Amino acid sequence: MREAAALWLQPALVAVLALRVAAGEADAPWLVLGALVAPLVALLARARPPAGRNPVAAAAAAGAVTALLAANFLLAADAATLLGGAPWQGVSVAAALAVLAPAARRLAAPALALGAVALALPLAAVTLATATAPWTAWTRGGLRPALTFSEASAWVQDGERFARPARLTFADGQRVTALTAGVYRVIERDAAPPTVRDWRLASGETLTLRPGDELSVETGARLRFEAGRRVPGAPASGAAWADAPARGPWMLPAALGGLVTLVGGALALGAATGRRGAPATWSPVLLLAGVTTATGWGVYAAAAAPDLTLSGSLLTLWLRLPPLALGPRAGVPLAALAAAGIVLLGVGATVALRRRLAAATRPEPVLWAGAVALAAVLTAWPVDPWRLLMLGLGLAAAMWTPSVLAAGAPGGVVGSIAGGVAFAALAGLPALAPAPAPAAWLEALTRYPALVALPLGWAAARAVDAMLATEDPPAGRRSPHSQTGA
Amino acid sequence: MSVGRGRRTAITLLLGLLAGAVLLALAPAAPGAVRVAGVSLLWWYAAVAAPLAATVIAVVALLRDGP
Repeated sequence: MREAAALWLQPALVAVLALRVAAGEADAPWLVLGALVAPLVALLARARPPAGRNPVAAAAAAGAVTALLAANFLLAADAATLLGGAPWQGVSVAAALAVLAPAARRLAAPALALGAVALALPLAAVTLATATAPWTAWTRGGLRPALTFSEASAWVQDGERFARPARLTFADGQRVTALTAGVYRVIERDAAPPTVRDWRLASGETLTLRPGDELSVETGARLRFEAGRRVPGAPASGAAWADAPARGPWMLPAALGGLVTLVGGALALGAATGRRGAPATWSPVLLLAGVTTATGWGVYAAAAAPDLTLSGSLLTLWLRLPPLALGPRAGVPLAALAAAGIVLLGVGATVALRRRLAAATRPEPVLWAGAVALAAVLTAWPVDPWRLLMLGLGLAAAMWTPSVLAAGAPGGVVGSIAGGVAFAALAGLPALAPAPAPAAWLEALTRYPALVALPLGWAAARAVDAMLATEDPPAGRRSPHSQTGA
Repeated sequence: MSVGRGRRTAITLLLGLLAGAVLLALAPAAPGAVRVAGVSLLWWYAAVAAPLAATVIAVVALLRDGP
């Protein structure tokens, strides 16, 4: 009964939502709501019996599951980076555990429930110990005159590592100390054209940056910043975090793209879990708890320390917020509990993905092992976890969902092909015809190709269904011997 | 996928809730930025009111459908 929740509450999705809320991303409010509504729509859109073999949708299902697994593996890569290791070491451990996922089938439901509790408890402790309700924390975050490094910040004390490559734009001048030797690229924008300088720094050497300068940082680089200076890349003030000045009607295509991708992806992922009646009501409650908890972590992190999002790590926020809010004695065990919650969500999600992939393609273990291996390789590609999630869900929405929505096998195949062609054409557009500053609607289409690919695939599937129903009404349904869900 | 009348209504309501968030966020003059008890209307809607309403709608639709 909780498989729909386990499929959806991927640790990467929960962590990215918290990170986007904490960072004050303009799209955070509707993505938070979309992350809840999408699986609820999928729960209510009851799955039909399998629509016959659809190898195109099966391939899309394998690709989508691989991308979602890769997004989850990035959490393990971040953990390894934070511990001073190489990202691949964390990914290897996570991949090895994922291959063993079928053995943990009975643990999936308890892991999901325990994971949700383990993430909610530290948040409740922060709320009670600081006597700060979430809305009060939001108000405080929104009233900050500037988002700056505090004296107690780990970035100021001992420095922190970047989990993935970053380009930091400085709003004020400050001295940055490199704690790992390497080449640091600075783009000075005080003159046209901008000046690019590569600085080879030894550990302990400093760079002096001026307002407007841009510093490129590689994965694993450890830097120390000055207390009282603005967090590079953060919103200019609490008001800018709260109201995101970039938000406006021009974001409509991107908003629709993100929401169509979430809903379309959820329809494909949740199609095999169409339960009914009282047992099915656990899933909406678990989904509400998961999404609300992620939002709460994001709000408290923004209020407590706006620099928690700087490293780009999906884990920093969960590990640093409890000690910051409650002190190390109470905070460190709670941070460990939150980390355990992420791992438990990962166990539930991996087992659910394994079952969904087997239902959509074939149950052979070698297929799952191949998806896990490919996902591990994908993490070597320097990609933002959100992009990976959107790639996986977008692929599912464009090619898998038309098959799920189709009334018959031929319609499903045609819908999957039409959706796939549209998805590939739009996603590949920036590589084929790069534009220096594409229009908002074109950028939205390339970032969220499912916005066009899903309706196109669905329309193609319905057209074929209608055509076959007109030609041969009684025989237009699916094969009774079909075994695949794709 | 086949969807009964009750579920279809519930899905329409859920999608309407999503559309409400986009409208509040992106409408000219930023109505979502209006503060209610210190928090913006957009965040009250997207993080509190609409999620609760969506969950109630989904639970009611699932319960009415029977086992």
